[in-house]
Amino acid sequence: MSVFMDLNVLFSADRSRLQSLVETAAHLGFSTVAINYVFEPTTKKKQEVPSPVPISELIGHLPVVQGRSRPIKVLNRLTVVMSEASHFRPNATEYRAFDLLAIQPTTEKLFHTTCMLCDVDIICISVTEKLPFFFKRAPINGAIDRGVVFEVSYASALRDSTMRRYTIANAVCLMESCKGKNVIVSSAAEKALELRGPYDIINLGALFGLSDADSKEAVSSTCRAVLLHAETRKTASGIVYTRISQQDTLQDCVGSEAPAAKRPKPT
Amino acid sequence: MVRVKSRYLLCEINVSDRRDLLKLDDRAVAGSVKAAVARTHGDYGAALCSIRFCVKYLNAHTGIVFLRFHKGFYKLLWSALPFITSIECRGQIIPCFLNCLHVGGTIRTCQKFLIRYNTRQLHQMLPKYKNKVEEKRKIQEAILSCSLTGGGNKALEDELESEEEDDE
Repeated sequence: MSVFMDLNVLFSADRSRLQSLVETAAHLGFSTVAINYVFEPTTKKKQEVPSPVPISELIGHLPVVQGRSRPIKVLNRLTVVMSEASHFRPNATEYRAFDLLAIQPTTEKLFHTTCMLCDVDIICISVTEKLPFFFKRAPINGAIDRGVVFEVSYASALRDSTMRRYTIANAVCLMESCKGKNVIVSSAAEKALELRGPYDIINLGALFGLSDADSKEAVSSTCRAVLLHAETRKTASGIVYTRISQQDTLQDCVGSEAPAAKRPKPT
Repeated sequence: MVRVKSRYLLCEINVSDRRDLLKLDDRAVAGSVKAAVARTHGDYGAALCSIRFCVKYLNAHTGIVFLRFHKGFYKLLWSALPFITSIECRGQIIPCFLNCLHVGGTIRTCQKFLIRYNTRQLHQMLPKYKNKVEEKRKIQEAILSCSLTGGGNKALEDELESEEEDDE
């Protein structure tokens, strides 16, 4: 039995809405959900990166996942919509509070830099407009080598017919260039009714041009790879991690974490 | 020797308000599925949908529905199901979505899966009723009496809907 994850659930200030979203996700069978804070910096004024509300405040009691015995895991994620290269500052301290980092590039040059250089886990492909640039094999292969995944979200396709066309068009373009590897499909759901079950999403992947096996991977093992990649990003390739224990304030533990989905990075 | 084969899709209708579930009927669900397929796959999809599609079973209390499709292109029609956002029934629009639980070749296999699924649901409901002894006893009786033949399935669904209504 594979774990299914939905790594994009939009944050809303309404607590009850988030609660019902997480409960529906647990009922549908998702083992992990990531609450997404979208941050769109503009050059006009200096904006603060939103800090994530701790999970225990947000949702009181984590519901048990359908078909399993563990409660659902809820993570924090930040998406930076980049229209200029200065918008994303690598190693900024505010990013430390989030478990996952994502970038949504809007121009071709930015797409190239994000794929090759930026230290993120997920690159979002926008679905609300026809992509102004084409995908080239070189940056996409560079991103695949680094372990970065591309994300397609489907909630806007459920709302509107033109959005549906853009989603399918952009997704098919992406699948052509990346050959179906390193892709995740997630909802960008704002309400509980915009979520869909994992097997339905797997079938939707077939609409986007993925094969059956690739489609199932897009909801399960590639998502797990993203989580592992995020952990290694936080902990210097997964070799050293610090843990604050009750007895001492800071304790350095050297443990070897070997994420199966990642090659060792030269330090 | 030549046997007509179909695929039966076991779907669960999720609504935000449980009382809306009771207003559903099978013709409304069939109509909305056909409309969604026509919207997504156009005339080709609508034509395929008219071949051997029907709603075989609908349980308004739990929201379980069996859809039958032709074996050759059930995947294409299945891919249109996530696009259903609401079902219109007797003039009312109920916002909901369909979640596919199981695909089977016969109704019997789908029923077996459904019984296991309902048993699991009852097990999950059990810890919620720690303080209410009477309901707990009813759930435990229903779990023990599940079987493929006879009224086992019906007893399950009665328990399910009465517990859900108590839950509100």
